[in-house]
Amino acid sequence: MDNQTFIQQKFAEFYEENASKIEAPSSISQREFGFMVFKENVMVRHKRFGTADALKTFIKESAPAHAYHSTAYYETPEAKMEDKGWLGADLYFDIDADHIATKCKEIHDSWTCKDCGFAGKGQPDVCPSCGSKRFDQRIWPCDECLDSAKKETIKLVEMLMEEFGFSSNEVAVSFSGHRGYHVHVTNEVIRELDAGARKEIVDYITGTGLNVSFFSSAVGAFRSSPETPVYALNDVGWRGRIVKGAYEFLSSATLKNLIDLGIKEKRANEIVLNKEAILNSWKREGPWRPVRGVGKEELRTIIDHVIGVQSVKIDTMVTTDIHRLIRLPNTLHGKTGWLKVSFPFSHIDIFDPFKSAVAFKKGTVNIYVEESPKFRIGDEWFGEYKKQKVELPTAAAIFVLCKDSASLVE
Amino acid sequence: MALTRSELAKYPFVFDAAEEVKRLDLDISNLENPNLKTIVDRAFNRIEEALATDPPRVSYRPGDEDKEIPSFPVAIILASATNNDYIKRRYALAEAVRAYDLLQFEDEKKIVEVVKVFNWKLRIHKQPVGYRRYDFALFFTDFLRNAEVFHEDEWKLVNRIMVNGEVFLNKREAARLIQEEVRKRIEKRFSIDVRQMLPESILQRVDDLSKKYADRISRARYIPFPKEVVNEAFPPCIQIFYGSAKTGTHISHLGRFTLTSFLLNINMKPEDIVNLFRASADFNERMTKYQVEHISGDRGSRTKYRSPTCETLKTHALCPGPDELCKTIRSPLRYYAKKTRMLKR
Repeated sequence: MDNQTFIQQKFAEFYEENASKIEAPSSISQREFGFMVFKENVMVRHKRFGTADALKTFIKESAPAHAYHSTAYYETPEAKMEDKGWLGADLYFDIDADHIATKCKEIHDSWTCKDCGFAGKGQPDVCPSCGSKRFDQRIWPCDECLDSAKKETIKLVEMLMEEFGFSSNEVAVSFSGHRGYHVHVTNEVIRELDAGARKEIVDYITGTGLNVSFFSSAVGAFRSSPETPVYALNDVGWRGRIVKGAYEFLSSATLKNLIDLGIKEKRANEIVLNKEAILNSWKREGPWRPVRGVGKEELRTIIDHVIGVQSVKIDTMVTTDIHRLIRLPNTLHGKTGWLKVSFPFSHIDIFDPFKSAVAFKKGTVNIYVEESPKFRIGDEWFGEYKKQKVELPTAAAIFVLCKDSASLVE
Repeated sequence: MALTRSELAKYPFVFDAAEEVKRLDLDISNLENPNLKTIVDRAFNRIEEALATDPPRVSYRPGDEDKEIPSFPVAIILASATNNDYIKRRYALAEAVRAYDLLQFEDEKKIVEVVKVFNWKLRIHKQPVGYRRYDFALFFTDFLRNAEVFHEDEWKLVNRIMVNGEVFLNKREAARLIQEEVRKRIEKRFSIDVRQMLPESILQRVDDLSKKYADRISRARYIPFPKEVVNEAFPPCIQIFYGSAKTGTHISHLGRFTLTSFLLNINMKPEDIVNLFRASADFNERMTKYQVEHISGDRGSRTKYRSPTCETLKTHALCPGPDELCKTIRSPLRYYAKKTRMLKR
């Protein structure tokens, strides 16, 4: 049996028992559905279901590699794109380890140059052998990737609640089934926002277009008395975030940290020497005006760094695209065999994707692994493997098979 | 607190126009009626003021409510009848600017009253927020719906103070957002089929007005791009996408869309664009051709797509950083238009 037939068989077995748990979106008859089917590797789009039962039956019978629904609501979801009649869309955020620079990628991700066949680890810009920019990439998720995505998710949800004012029951969080998290805002007030308004929300979350000089200029006019600090560590929104971030950064910054940001050694030395005085002035006024040791240029460098740290790394296209398809919760991800699972935001600290998203819990499978890094399923570690036969629990075997790095041994 | 009649004359857009129209028997086909002459004259005058002033402004005439209130809905009908987008847009803007000017002198309570008709979540907020003082708090979706078209940094949400879904504003800023809402609402009220309902003499006056400002209207038209593609005039972002396409380097979906729509808009032939993507590792001629035709409007929705703006490219981290000319424009296409003209000289 070939890999794909086997995986699809397992997906079908899974849905036979678990299709009832699929979480259908609200207003189901106004949604478009799309499925990536195994064999042909094509996307079937523009499907409409009148009821959640019809949707579940369809997935049970077809066992697709991926199942999606539109974030949008349409008059006629089954019509061609231009005739659907857009009525509104939920607000979605996608946080994917692909958009976060993590060091672990050097360990578990690999590539092969499409032009010269040279191969290596990590995610290069150009092939070191021939200079080509065309690669085949093999990307794996790991604890570090998903922890970094989790941190971004926490930052995002806090922004959505504190600044945008959404309540915890209007913000649904889920693990995507691969390398990240989805955040779904259900409040009706955002449904009719167009792509332009959503772009502004994205810019807020990512700190794009943040004009620091605007924050720091003409502030005197708003001061109620000379004793009132203009900026303070407990200030709100991005202002507070920058002041706090700059303060925290400098509190723990070493000479090397400063030089790594691109600050000249002489100036960096001066900053380290004057650290206490600078921090004290920032406590009172915020990091907006040059003080001894930190000139305009250094200030800009530090603030840019802080914005980079404080901004949330989201996939900007997902949020601004008002016709987007997004994975259905409690369906399988064809690249991992894991589930997309929703969970309450209050549980995010203890949420373990490698445990909660495991779908296949019985039996073992014999496979021949071409190459795989070390990975974890539940409490058990596997690998790394290179050109070897192994008997793995079904979840682990399907994961490596879905990654296209192994073949079935009959 | 309801608005008085003299306040309605200041802000006629909040008014239930249907009621006023009924009161005066203001039937469209009846506009020739001599009793309505002063109203119709003022309606024409409103539009003429919009066309003759810069920035466009309709004047405020206190103490003349019986003419001022009904002349507003009539002017909307007359502007519609010109079938001229420039006149319609200009008139809507002029009425909106008038509201902006007047609102700045109103007290906060009055402003809250005026926006009731918009269903905005606006409230007076005088306590300091984060050590600064404001006049109002407005729910962020109401803010975005209007501020998203403004280009100044201070109007970007990221540069605002927002707490619990509310954006804080001073009075001037609130008035500016109301101006935009008024402008949009007036533009929505222009209907297409009024000409056949209007009496002949009124139509004649409408057409005379259009003719009077004809040269102004044609000047506002759009300057075409050169027939031949001028690669040297590409902005930095397009240069990168273009180079990547030629070498087969991966370009994001939005990058490809930006490049394709840009090249189509500057008159590159669709087949040349398809050829440009040939080096791409996953090149598929049929698929590429389909996509290019879709963007050109030869397929699907039949709309020719404009190239994304600089703002959009920045949001998606596709702006490589501006050069000097970039700082004077807001879209790659405007850059190209300016640069080609500079190169010509």
